[in-house]
Amino acid sequence: MAQHILNAVALGSVYLVFALGMALAWSTIGILNFAHGATFMFSAFTAHVVTQHVALPMPAVVLVAVAAGALIATLTQVLAFGPIMRRATDHRSAELRILIGGIGVAAIPLAIAERVTASAPFGFRGSTYQAQVFEIAGLRMTTTVLVIVVAGIGIGVGVWRWLATSRQGLALRAIGVDSETASLMGVDRSTLALGTMATAGALAGLAGALLTFQLGAIAPASGDQLLIKAFAIVVLGGLGSMGGVIVGAFVLAGAETFVLAMNQGTWVDAVSFGLIFAVLLLRPQGLFGRKEVRRT
Amino acid sequence: MRVPHRWRRLRRATACALVAVAAVSMSGCDAAQGGIATEEGIPKEIKLLGVRDQTGPVAYAGIGGARGGKLAIAEINRSGFLGDGVKLTIKEIDTAGSIETASAEMAQATADRTVHAIMGPTQGQQAATVAPMVERAQVPTIFTQAGSDGVVINDYTFRATAPMASYYNLATEYLADKGLGDVSVLYNATYPTFAEIGEGSFPKQADRHGLDIVSSTPVQSTTQDFTTPVRSIAGEDPDAVVMLLTEPQSVTALTQLRQAGYDGQVMGTSVQGGGNLKEAGKHGEGVIYPTDFSPALTGEKARDFVAAFQQRFGRKPDVYAAEGYDGMWWLARAIKASGSASREGIKRGLQQVAKEGFDGVMGELTFEGNDMRVPGVLVRWNGTSEELVSGGAS
Repeated sequence: MAQHILNAVALGSVYLVFALGMALAWSTIGILNFAHGATFMFSAFTAHVVTQHVALPMPAVVLVAVAAGALIATLTQVLAFGPIMRRATDHRSAELRILIGGIGVAAIPLAIAERVTASAPFGFRGSTYQAQVFEIAGLRMTTTVLVIVVAGIGIGVGVWRWLATSRQGLALRAIGVDSETASLMGVDRSTLALGTMATAGALAGLAGALLTFQLGAIAPASGDQLLIKAFAIVVLGGLGSMGGVIVGAFVLAGAETFVLAMNQGTWVDAVSFGLIFAVLLLRPQGLFGRKEVRRT
Repeated sequence: MRVPHRWRRLRRATACALVAVAAVSMSGCDAAQGGIATEEGIPKEIKLLGVRDQTGPVAYAGIGGARGGKLAIAEINRSGFLGDGVKLTIKEIDTAGSIETASAEMAQATADRTVHAIMGPTQGQQAATVAPMVERAQVPTIFTQAGSDGVVINDYTFRATAPMASYYNLATEYLADKGLGDVSVLYNATYPTFAEIGEGSFPKQADRHGLDIVSSTPVQSTTQDFTTPVRSIAGEDPDAVVMLLTEPQSVTALTQLRQAGYDGQVMGTSVQGGGNLKEAGKHGEGVIYPTDFSPALTGEKARDFVAAFQQRFGRKPDVYAAEGYDGMWWLARAIKASGSASREGIKRGLQQVAKEGFDGVMGELTFEGNDMRVPGVLVRWNGTSEELVSGGAS
């Protein structure tokens, strides 16, 4: 049982790092970035290409992926989402166009990675890092799992507290509630939007590197599967609540692990998403979302 | 200004007529250059179309098939196999992993009267969608991969890939021979080929050979992390694990299985071919799997094919390339056998060659109806390449 809980925590930590970036951009600057999965994948792919030429240790590989993720997300904001938001007549049409724009942006890195790899799995074989297996109190884990859990929970709680207590966090939350009023109060929306997207992209890159280390390899399409899960996590936790994202990630991972532990692997998606559906029937705003549709 | 209704109708009708005339004249131009594919005899140019994934999730299968086919065409043309100056030509169209694109491209391809035959989609769902279309248009179509039911369903559909289940007995026999009696099965239950082996053919074969299936663990195509199921399997400590998973899933499951402390035999599938286990590093070493082709085959045809492929593409061929190559030679033999490159002639020829069978790079090829069967070969991944374990011309 304890081993299953540990497995769920490890899986939840990966989901959390991935979903945090998406939730951050969605709940503050109002960008539901459907290119987040492609950013995740292409960051890992960039690190894969680099490790094919240079043998790097794990921290360096992670750094490459984080930098690539931040760069991709910044470019996405500057070249796609920024112009869309400037030209949109109202917030609702901007959201819809960003959603479609994100799908379009996602197609580019996906096509490049598929072309280069012929859709075969890729990993960090060139890295000098080798996962070590150890046991603590009868629980078997790898050094990769340890890094993922520490990074996931640490970053999750860090982002949550930063958003709740810092001045920049307050400014971001103000944009989430009413961007026009926030601007009148002196909040520089464009700069904060760029910074938020870069942070979200860096988190996607971090998730890409950590998950690739954990799984051994991912495929170009792996980001799409995570995107659906992240979407479910944010909705389950409640849009605008970073604490909700943390809980949502571990609830989803816990449900999946439980179904797999019961040897009912074909029911994983049905049970996990059914559970989310049931929660939303009882609490349409999600576990920690506010009743009124407002971003924190 | 509002246009009267009848004028709008007339305009629309005129536009439709112009489009139709343009389409007919364009098709006429093509015909003049390449010959009408319904005429009997062998023209100087026999036009083929490859409608398969060159991008998308299973691009590796389409790219491999196309490369194998191109190599075969080069050999057929160079050797004058179909007569002096007779050339096979092929144009590849990318279905990009989409059923809708495959369907639209096949509709265009079958409507083109200059196309003699088609090398069809490699993805099962795409192939099953276009198979009825092929019969309606009466264009002989050879599929590679596309292991689903509903693909080889009429006189015009042919498949140059043997179902994995038809040679998976090599794996079962190996496990029985080595006394690896307790077996756990980890399989992707939402992938038809693996579900069929995991739930159907392997349990039957295991029963026949006295193997005991300790556990059978289904997962989905969306499963990315295998920590939980492999921990359970490692706890059972079976003599062998039969792993029926897709490429990225295999790398992950294998890595996590070894990290969970399992050091027994892992039996995979041909999906592990083509170097897909490289990413698993040392965890992939020693995995054995049955496949329809391996560059490790020592028969003369296979060796020549590997050398020619390596020279042309700078890498060893995978199973997809071998299937594309043998599929193209099946087509060439069919044209020669029937003495006609017309669509009907090719269909007749493919059926005739299927009745007789022939030697290909995958070994002695036989057929069940329009569906290929291969002897199969069992190989071991040593960390860098495949080694022959049994079967094949070893």
